[in-house]
Amino acid sequence: MRQKSPYFRVNEKCNGCLACVENCPANALSYEDRGERRILRHNMSLCARCGNCWRICPQEAVEFEHLLHGGWNDVATMKLVHCEVCGEPLYTVNFEETLSHKLKHDMDNLCPRHRKELSISAWKRLKTGANKVKEAAA
Amino acid sequence: MIVGNIKPIEEIASSLSEFKKVMILGCGSCVSVCLSGGEKAADRLAGELSSSELFKEGAPEFQVGAVLRQCERDLVETYLERPPDIDAILSLACGAGVQTLVKIFDDIPVIPALNTTFLGALDEPGTWEEKCQGCGNCILFLTGGICPVTRCAKRLLNGPCGGSRDGKCEINRDVECAWQLIIDRLTKMDRLEDYEKIIPPKDWSSDRGYGPRRLSYPE
Repeated sequence: MRQKSPYFRVNEKCNGCLACVENCPANALSYEDRGERRILRHNMSLCARCGNCWRICPQEAVEFEHLLHGGWNDVATMKLVHCEVCGEPLYTVNFEETLSHKLKHDMDNLCPRHRKELSISAWKRLKTGANKVKEAAA
Repeated sequence: MIVGNIKPIEEIASSLSEFKKVMILGCGSCVSVCLSGGEKAADRLAGELSSSELFKEGAPEFQVGAVLRQCERDLVETYLERPPDIDAILSLACGAGVQTLVKIFDDIPVIPALNTTFLGALDEPGTWEEKCQGCGNCILFLTGGICPVTRCAKRLLNGPCGGSRDGKCEINRDVECAWQLIIDRLTKMDRLEDYEKIIPPKDWSSDRGYGPRRLSYPE
């Protein structure tokens, strides 16, 4: 079943004269006479949003603003991974899997700040360890 | 946007005379908007050519299609299905689109159906006017937002010349004098003092005279 377009909208003044269909340079408008009804159709992927339909409509029925200020549509939803320390969102679980596979090791799920802190503390631990080795050698 | 104008049908027919099967390809961007090269224009052209008596040995067989933007190589390469056995493509894109097709389909002729005309804007429904020459060094901020490079026949940076009369240009009384427009606009904005500033010679090194220009963003 076809849905009403959220972008190309006509108001109640549309009388089905088809001036918009005839004058659409991108062939993005068409119609079907089915039984007792005329159905006006719009194809957003063909539409050049040139505004010709809006200019040409003798009834001022085309509400072009919806083609200029359309809303956002959700296209995908994925689970997030958060920083293990502060909870800041980092990347998606899928991204983590892809990257871990490419890097051939598991990811440390840390934000840039905590990653930096971790590397500093690791460096300090290493330094302490190295000093101990030096002391033992001496 | 890029404005194009369809070539005379005789010229198009003459360029297709030696082909048997031709794809007529519209472009869904600029030339659709300026009503010269979209899918509907491609349909119309196929109909006109098929029924014309301009072909001595009969019109070629036409297949009509359109792509969103003929000027984007990867998009066209991925999504345009080339019909089998065609021996030429008649493109309704601008020159950039035609040359993109040439790069992709290097074994058959790609023929332009439009004359790519200018970079323009819709002044009123059905009328486009040249506003920009893509000189690569925009000076609109110095000239009240009106481009003398494009709209003054002499490309004067400090005008008007003596040929300006009653706000019209000497080359054609239908052409507005760009410098009159600039002065009128500066007056309206109460910035006429900007007109007193002498605009120094422009850096033309970014203009077309230095050969084809290229814009490439670092990876």
